[in-house]
Amino acid sequence: MAGYEVFGTWVAALLTLCLMSFLYKDNPFFRFAEALFAGVSLGYYIGITLDQTLRPNLFIPLAEQGVTGDTAHLRFAGLVGLNLYTRYIPKIAWFARSSLALYVGYYVGINMVQKLQGEVLPQAAATMVDLSGDGNVMSAFNSFVMLVGVITVLMYFFFSVEHKGGFGKASRIGIWFLMLGFGAAFGYTVMGRVSLLIGRFNFIVIQWIGGTLQSLGFGG
Amino acid sequence: MSTALAKLTTIDRRWIFLLIGLGTLIPILIPIGFPVTITPPVQSIYDKIETLGENDVVVLSYDYGPTTAAENEPMADAIIRHCFLRKVKVVALALYPLGGLTAVNGSVTRVSAEFPGLQYGVDYVNLGYKDGGQASMKLLAEDFSKAFPGDTNGTPLSTLPLMQKVTGARNAQLAVSIATGVIGEWWANLINAQYGLPVAVGCTAVSAPKYYAYLEAGQMLGLIGGLKGASEYEQLLLNGYPQTKTIYSNPMLQTASKGMDVQTIDHLIIIGFIVLGNIAYFAGRRAKQA
Amino acid sequence: MFLRLRLPLLLTLLAGLIPIIAFFFKDDATFIKKPNSWLEQDMVIVSGFALLLGVVNVVQSNVRKIERREKGWLFAAVLLFGMFFMGIFGAAGAMRLGGLPGIGNYPNGTPTPFAWGSVYMFTPLQSTMFALLAFYIASAAFRAFRVRNLEATILLVAAVFVMLGRIPVGEGAFGSVTEWMMQVPNGAAQRGIIIGAALGAASLSLRVILGIERSYLGLEKSE
Repeated sequence: MAGYEVFGTWVAALLTLCLMSFLYKDNPFFRFAEALFAGVSLGYYIGITLDQTLRPNLFIPLAEQGVTGDTAHLRFAGLVGLNLYTRYIPKIAWFARSSLALYVGYYVGINMVQKLQGEVLPQAAATMVDLSGDGNVMSAFNSFVMLVGVITVLMYFFFSVEHKGGFGKASRIGIWFLMLGFGAAFGYTVMGRVSLLIGRFNFIVIQWIGGTLQSLGFGG
Repeated sequence: MSTALAKLTTIDRRWIFLLIGLGTLIPILIPIGFPVTITPPVQSIYDKIETLGENDVVVLSYDYGPTTAAENEPMADAIIRHCFLRKVKVVALALYPLGGLTAVNGSVTRVSAEFPGLQYGVDYVNLGYKDGGQASMKLLAEDFSKAFPGDTNGTPLSTLPLMQKVTGARNAQLAVSIATGVIGEWWANLINAQYGLPVAVGCTAVSAPKYYAYLEAGQMLGLIGGLKGASEYEQLLLNGYPQTKTIYSNPMLQTASKGMDVQTIDHLIIIGFIVLGNIAYFAGRRAKQA
Repeated sequence: MFLRLRLPLLLTLLAGLIPIIAFFFKDDATFIKKPNSWLEQDMVIVSGFALLLGVVNVVQSNVRKIERREKGWLFAAVLLFGMFFMGIFGAAGAMRLGGLPGIGNYPNGTPTPFAWGSVYMFTPLQSTMFALLAFYIASAAFRAFRVRNLEATILLVAAVFVMLGRIPVGEGAFGSVTEWMMQVPNGAAQRGIIIGAALGAASLSLRVILGIERSYLGLEKSE
């Protein structure tokens, strides 16, 4: 391993242990790593945004092609972006509203189409299928369960009607489907969190301890 | 007896932490090597890539960061490795701000080193990271260069032969998003929905239950869910490409298959805790009634 | 009044309508395609600026903390150190200053300071913070997962089936039923949630575009 790798691995290992020390109790080592975590993450944003987005998509086109032709609209983008920061100058803080309005407006517009065309329609279409299952009993049963599940879950989320009588019973079935979904989500969440722990333990055992032993000449 | 059991509910949680810690550490030190069974959603992605060849292009989006890398990284590595084994062209990119760039740079560098015959710019390209979410996705679907004027190092796309072959993601044969959170969904409900590009997703276990709805509706052709899904894909590669055995048996490599040993032990410990917790709960109720 | 109130609402309407109208025209030659493409390219840039908005806030509040020597000011200094270390090397890399080739590696494979910080500080800190949750979820399972009533029992049984069905020792007995459970009843529940949430999000989007919902601008309905 190169020097920067050895040093880096030790830094990473010590930071990992600092954070893990919280499992015993809150302590200054954890607080140190926690503060560094927030700072480094923000610094990371600065680096990637400048290097990967603003440089190639704004600075270079404007520097190379000037402010004419097809890149003229980029000037506008730069101004809109900079204008967002006027919110930190109290006297002209309201300037930022226009930039925010454009930004929010575009994303809610795209989101509306995305939700209706990309979610509501295909998900509803996939529920409205032939319940006979083309002669396959299991397929017919699954389609039926799916239909009942979707309708009852939607009924549960329909709060304009009081959940009583037949409607209440149907929405209770919806709750059962939801509970099953949440239970499955919990099971998968356990799986996910354990996976992340495996990642850190692997780092400590294989890369840090194993790597250090290897560099000291122990093991293959 | 009931009172003693009821007292269990008040034990210091650090004992639970210790057990989980040991359950994780011991199988790493002493691997068991449990077998892995393949599920249909993972098999479908493998089968799809098996139908592709050297004239086809896969867009591989690294939509995760270090927080979930332990789950997502083995999937991403397995997918790009599969593409390289079949000489399928790969356009790699990242849309997740908190670490997507680190993920794509790491994975492309790591796996491309296993294939010295492949040429950067001709067989694969790393476009790096881009802000903008859906705006970037829509742009790259139509024309990569509008979202990514250059690759991760700033090399103009016009100088990379692969990017002349595939101008936008909609011209590719498949998009695979290895995702944490919502970006994988966008590939289905925006790119698949509006451009018809086949989409497959490798997601974190936490997101898997939701992604099943997209899978069932045909908005995704396959799904790799969590570390288990990743281990299945590794197994498929080992079965289909025996030469990958040298890669996956490297003791310094963190693979999903090795992780399944720990996963098994820890799941059993947690199920044990749930059972024990319930016994203690009922014992407590009985003691109260008595 | 116009600049402070009407203009932002008009801009929201315009920016919201462009992608919606563009969706209905697939032909690249259509009048709406060019402004839509410009808007998309511009939003990538504006998103970049927006992502960094929080940095100003964090610097302001932490500098204040240090100046006033408030409790935990040393940790505020650590936070700023981490931010400036990554931020300065990131910015210098982006501007290609000091011989830096960018924010990745040098041509010989050695990492730039930003790349080094990404791999050896950012990555372990991020991943460990989330890995800690494994311990707490185990503790939560022990303390809170109780067979109290029918709903809680369904929740618990589904969780246990998934935990067993997704590990090698349980796959034989629980694998198929877990896969069925995930695809059918869980799929139905998730589909219900997706449809409900999507309809809610679409109606909220419409309210924002039409200027009925204004809270994101810091405005009341009556303003």
